[in-house]
Amino acid sequence: MSRKLPKYFFNFVCLLVYIFLLAPIVVVLLSSLTTTEYIVFPPEGLTLRWYTELIEHPEFMQSFTLSIIVALGTAIIATAIGTLASLAFVRRQFKGKTAIVQLVGSPLLIPSVVFGVALLQFYSWIGLAASPLALILGHIILTVPFVMRLVVASLVGFDRSIEQAALNLGAGPMKVFFQITLPIIKSGVIAGAIFAFITSFDDLTVALFIVSTDVVTLPVRIYTYMQYQYDPIITSVSSIMILFTVVLMLIIERVLGVGKVFSSKN
Amino acid sequence: MSYLSLENVVKTFNKTEVVKKLSLDIQKGELVSFLGPSGCGKTTTLNMIAGFLEVDGGKIEVDGKPVHLLPPYKREMGMVFQNYALFPHMTVFDNVAYGLKLRKVPKTEISKRVLEALEMVRLDGYEKRYPKELSGGQQQRVSLARALVIKPKVLLLDEPLSNLDAKLRQEMREEIVEIQKQVGITTIFVTHDQEEALAISDRIAVMYEGRIEQVDDPASIYNHPKTDFVSQFIGEVNHIQGKVLETYENKKCKMHFFGNEQIVSVPSVKNSEVHFFIRPEKIQIALAESDESFQTRVERKMFLGAKTRYILKVQDRHLIADISNTVINPTEIKEGNSVYTYWNPEDLLPSRMAR
Repeated sequence: MSRKLPKYFFNFVCLLVYIFLLAPIVVVLLSSLTTTEYIVFPPEGLTLRWYTELIEHPEFMQSFTLSIIVALGTAIIATAIGTLASLAFVRRQFKGKTAIVQLVGSPLLIPSVVFGVALLQFYSWIGLAASPLALILGHIILTVPFVMRLVVASLVGFDRSIEQAALNLGAGPMKVFFQITLPIIKSGVIAGAIFAFITSFDDLTVALFIVSTDVVTLPVRIYTYMQYQYDPIITSVSSIMILFTVVLMLIIERVLGVGKVFSSKN
Repeated sequence: MSYLSLENVVKTFNKTEVVKKLSLDIQKGELVSFLGPSGCGKTTTLNMIAGFLEVDGGKIEVDGKPVHLLPPYKREMGMVFQNYALFPHMTVFDNVAYGLKLRKVPKTEISKRVLEALEMVRLDGYEKRYPKELSGGQQQRVSLARALVIKPKVLLLDEPLSNLDAKLRQEMREEIVEIQKQVGITTIFVTHDQEEALAISDRIAVMYEGRIEQVDDPASIYNHPKTDFVSQFIGEVNHIQGKVLETYENKKCKMHFFGNEQIVSVPSVKNSEVHFFIRPEKIQIALAESDESFQTRVERKMFLGAKTRYILKVQDRHLIADISNTVINPTEIKEGNSVYTYWNPEDLLPSRMAR
């Protein structure tokens, strides 16, 4: 019944999928090198002019720094909350557990536009102005479910007698958590942190509702800039974002091994 | 003076008592097995001694001091788990050194003691490996070294051999006893394997439904079981039912069973029913009839190497007899043959069973 497809066909399909996924990135990277005043692909001529021109737009640099601060803050706090919530979810039985888990996971189901509007309403109601904190809070709500997914996956099948062994050898509960539990679920926790960072760094929809004229994240900055101008500065900023993400992944790969982090196995 | 003592220890889960007023005294250096079927409370009791479960009543003392209110990390006990429970992110060395580091032992002494412990379990040279690079037996040895290196007051072994294959199990259990005697450490060994318990224990506590049925040395447990549960759980038994024909003084009576009569020592009332157990290896068969024997038919015959198992039918009952092949050559007896069966009345184990 199941005749095997030839190997070269399989490879061909894989290649197509990769091209489809990577083509937009290549287009952006290459168009940022064009000599024309407008974005075009394939680029006409080669120049780094659009990168040097960024210097005349310090607002992009500001937004870049803000985005990183927000993404870092989100990643750290969401990972801490998500990890602790995962421990409670996997290991404890308590009243209303299912309801709470559904609630925490709901941002995955709600369209981010709706979430953005809701956040805007809520912030103005409690009187929270646009600020890095406001952005971080919104992104935490958005990213905790991702962190939980990943950490819960690394906790399922966790042999708790390993923790008992540590207790038995004389380690108190805090030592057991930091010296035994956390190192063992490390891969899930780090994967969660990376997801939270990238989700926050990437987010346009929710941030659009929270930003003000002084507090603008990079995606929002690009988006608003594009409404008035359509010059290759957009592509050079985008290229920097892409390169930044790639460098980030390379560092993580170097330090931990990405394969290791995302496999959720030790 | 007992070294480890349990006094009326109780554990309740969801209003069901799983350990019922359990008391036991263990001497220093003694190896005591908790033996029983799953759900008998043996692991629960061990977890209460280790401190992973709180006692709901009674007390536990070690060396005269109560420990049942201490958290597990203050009890100074070494535990070996069924699934090894090694720290997967640490090398063998770091696994064994963990307890010593927590005790702030100086570095040079740590490495000396860790290497000694690994040598004791014959794993010297494996310090730099990770647990997943070791076989099950090796992992369990690391686990044993890790528990012993902190010089615990009591060694707790929770079915340490049940994840190993049969041959390795036997090797490991001999090794464990050897190390235990060498170190002289008071040890509790939880198992559901009666052969294991018989082979290694100084004393066995047979547990059933949250109670200790009998605590005794292995031979006494096997030869003089005090309850029906112990008779049936340890080794195999045939159930014999008879009728008392006559009673004598000195607590003896004449019993009638399978058309045969025998004088047995059990106090009883005339015309009442009596019950006995007899182990398969205590049943004898012969081709010729004698005064004590009764006729049975061989229904099935199973060659088991050193012995042969005969399923004998008498009236509408079955008896299992294990006969050494050096006593009777199994080729002499065919299925369907009649043989004469007998036993020494002293080998009957009295039963309180009333079926």
